[in-house]
Formats: sequence, C-alpha cells, structure tokens
Amino acid sequence: MCKEFGTGNWPPALQEIIDEFSEIEDQMERLEILFDYSEEIDELPPAEWSESTIVHGCQSEAHIKVTFSQESGFHLIGAADAKLVQGLMAVTSIGLEGLSLEEVVNFSPDFASEMGLMNILSPSRANGFRNMLHKIQEDTKNLKE
Amino acid sequence: MIFDPYTCRKDFPILNRILPNGKPLVYLDNSATTQKPSCVIDAMSRYYLEYNSNVHRAVHTLSSEATNAYEGAREMIADWFGLTDGNLLFTSGTTEAINLVAHSWGRANLSKGDVIVLTEMEHHSDIVPWQMLAEETGVELRWVPFDKENFQLDMAAFEMSLEDAKLVCCIHTSNVLGIRNPVEEIISLAHNVGARVLIDAAQAAPHDRIGISELGADFVAVSAHKMSGPTGIGALFVNAETLTEMKPFLGGGDMIREVFLDHSTYQEGSFKFEAGTPKIAEAIGWAEAVKWLSNIGFESSHSHSIKLAQKVADAFRNIPGMTVLGRQDNDDAPLISFIHDSLHAADMAQMLDAHGIAIRTGHHCAQPLLRSLGLTSTNRASFYLYNTEEEADFLIETVQKLVERFS
Repeated sequence: MCKEFGTGNWPPALQEIIDEFSEIEDQMERLEILFDYSEEIDELPPAEWSESTIVHGCQSEAHIKVTFSQESGFHLIGAADAKLVQGLMAVTSIGLEGLSLEEVVNFSPDFASEMGLMNILSPSRANGFRNMLHKIQEDTKNLKE
Repeated sequence: MIFDPYTCRKDFPILNRILPNGKPLVYLDNSATTQKPSCVIDAMSRYYLEYNSNVHRAVHTLSSEATNAYEGAREMIADWFGLTDGNLLFTSGTTEAINLVAHSWGRANLSKGDVIVLTEMEHHSDIVPWQMLAEETGVELRWVPFDKENFQLDMAAFEMSLEDAKLVCCIHTSNVLGIRNPVEEIISLAHNVGARVLIDAAQAAPHDRIGISELGADFVAVSAHKMSGPTGIGALFVNAETLTEMKPFLGGGDMIREVFLDHSTYQEGSFKFEAGTPKIAEAIGWAEAVKWLSNIGFESSHSHSIKLAQKVADAFRNIPGMTVLGRQDNDDAPLISFIHDSLHAADMAQMLDAHGIAIRTGHHCAQPLLRSLGLTSTNRASFYLYNTEEEADFLIETVQKLVERFS
C-alpha cells in the first residue's frame, strides 16, 4: 500500500534525523552535521557523472541516479563536489530508502524545512535542493514507465 | 583630512547589524557592492520627500530644484573623476554603459574585417555585448591572454593583436584577480594604431579617482554602487570627438529635439543618449556619495584597504592546500580570490556566513578567466574603506579553523 509521506509522517530513519537537527540551535553546528552526513550516501563515482545524472540549477555540481528492485525497493546513488550538497543528498537518500516508486514520486520536500535547513541555506542552494528532489522524482516516474 | 576607518564606519548603520544567527555582520563582499552611508540614503529620501519632480522641461519650482540637483550631480561626479573634456552619460551601470557603446558606436563604426581586441580577464559585461555585435556584423574578436603565474596581461600578445584593431576593450582592474592592468600603456599602444579604447573601470572606481581626461581613453564605464552610491546608476564617459561618432541608443522622450511623423531630430551631447525619465534620485545619491568620499580623506583610504587584503592574502598563502589568486600589489583592488583543495567554494562561503562573514562565491561573471585557470568557482573576500583589521583577522582565523575542521 502506498503511503503519503509528509509532516508528522516521515519514514522513521528520516524522522530521527529531523529530530537530531531540530534540537540544534547553532547554525554552524547544523552545517557541520550536514557535512558529516555527506559520507552516508551510496556514492556515484565521478566516472559515472553524465548529462543524464546531472542536477541542473545547482550552484555546485551534483549528480544522482535512481534504482529500484522489488526486493529492496527504492535506492538513491549520488554525489556532489560540495559536501553540504552531498550531505543534503544523503539525508534525502536515507528518507527515500526502500520506498515504493509511487511513494518516492509523492514525497514531500518539507523535511528540509523541518530540519531547519531552508533558513540557513542560500536561496540558490535551497533552489538547488528543490531541483534535486524534482529530478529524483522525475527519474523515478521514468522508472515506473 | 586624516582617513580613519573607525570614523567612517559610524556613517554606515548596516555595519552594526546582528544577523538572524546572532552573529555581528562582517561585510567583505564589497567588490559586488559597497554599503551606503546614511547621507546618501538621506539625500535620496529628501528628494522624494521634498522636491520629487521630473527634470528638464517643466517650469515649476519643484522641477527646477530637481533639475538643478540632477545636473549638479552630473557636474560633481564628472569633477570627481577628473573629466575636463568630454561627456558623462548616465546609464544604469557599467553593463549598460558597455552595451551603449556596442549599440551606438559599434554598430555605426564597425563592420566585417574590423577587429575588437579584448582580454581574457574581462567581466561578462565586457564580453557578451561584443559577441552579440560580432554575430550581427561579422567583426572579429581577438583575445589577449594573461600569464597564469603572475597574472599579468601578455603585452607582447597585445601588441601583436592590434593589426586591423578598431576598438580595444580592457578591464582596468580585474574583479577576480584584483590586478590593475597597465591601462595607460594599453591606451597609448591602441591609439598609435588608430583604435578607440574602452576601459571597464567598475572595480577601479571604488579605490581610484581615475583622472579620466588625463587617462585619455575614448570610453570609460563605471557603476555608482561600488563606491558608496546607490544601485541602478552608473556612467559612460566619452571624449568629445568620439561622441560625434555615436548614434542614439534608446529612442524616446528627453533625447529628441523635434519629432515629426516621418522623422525626428536629436539633442546634442549626453542628452542624446538619455531617453526617458532619468535616474534622478540615484544621480543625487551618487553625488552625495562623492561629496562624502571627498570629506573622509579618500586619497589615503586605499592604502588602508589594500593592507588588509595583503595581510589576508599572506595568511591564506600559508594555509596548506589553499590557492590565492592575484598579487595584491599596492595599486591593485583590495580583494582576495581563494580556493581550497578540499573545501568547495560554496561550502566555505556557507560556513563563513554561519560566522557572520559575507563573501562572494562563484565565477564572478568571469567564466573565461576562471576556465583559463582550470577553475569553475572561487571564494572572493573584498575590502573597502570601512573594513577594519579586526575583521581581517577574524576572516583569517575563521578560514584557518574551517580548513582544519573540514579538509
């Protein structure tokens, strides 16, 4: 059955991260944790970066690839040359891990605001995040078809 | 008047700002735009509150006051920059000024077979208008490289490129490298072969009064907002002879002498290129900025800000993995473009912002320059007369800490 994920109803692993971030007042500390999360993604090697993996409209170079299997569900692979972007990508990948294709397509972007990140990221980076999620969802729609 | 940055700062309430993260603002993005002293904001506000009116033609009191203030501003700004022979055309900024030259002079005087010489250091605003013109007219664009070690223009290549040159376009002071180019020599060599010269002085104007008539370039472009003035206004200085070779830019009110159904005749001088209601409040604000600069000991302010840049550049060069562009000579702009091997420029800027430090990140509208150095983006910290040694020290300490923690 397809679940609609959003405020008050996030996948448990993502909820844990949101809780971790919302306990932090200091902007720099949030950025540090986000930086550390950059290690948590299944990294797409630069050799596989291409026009089909690039996230357009991002200040740094960011690439994603979506995969799906009946056994383990959705899985995101990605990388960026800026660690903060890769950190945000990693948090997104944790939130989406194992979901159905439909759940990914309907996933709300609000978790980034709940983590307190949209206030501290520059408008161009916040926009880059929205573009990244949009690409994940569009690529996932193509997987469906 | 003895220059004192701490006295200057008192005129900028914004510099006392505490940011939403609780950190005091350390503003080091001055090459993008400088802050405005209260007197500039007050002068613009006074115009709107007390004598807002359109300029030039009406006979009522308000219009006379506005016209006097606007034309007085033109005189004051021309004086500041040492314009003794030629015209000051108000534009929206350096970008519009260069586009004006491309449209009004370029289209009337250049054609296939002619050459425009430019440097690899140019800002996009001094590249794209010429590419557009080249596409339209078939004129050739020829590029002068710079040395990738000492960042100086290759003057031998420049001289070689002058054959058939009708126009030379050169950035006075690079917005990425801070390098002040040998513009006097460039103008002289270009004039020897009969080429006109356009100097983009956007980054020079904050630190240098330029002495436009003495410099002898045919066109000089500047922006007000990089020298304590408001955004939305700048100027193109054109020498008297070259002005006669220019066709009107925008058509409309104020630039005409008479309009008939089948043709129009145009004003002479600057007015011919200033169609429509001009930037009245902005011109008044810019003149106020010039007046303020005259009263603070401007002549010695540059040695203060370049010392700050030199101190930061020296400290950054000692950080392992850090590349610092430029040379920060005494005549250069007080800016430092830097990039660390293992800390992306955007991450560095985001983390400095978390400490209250505002710097610039990206390609700085000079992608060909960065590409020639194998880079896509850098961080740029840029100083102005109100910055202090404490701020420079805080930048150094913070960058050192970030590099230690994150690289």
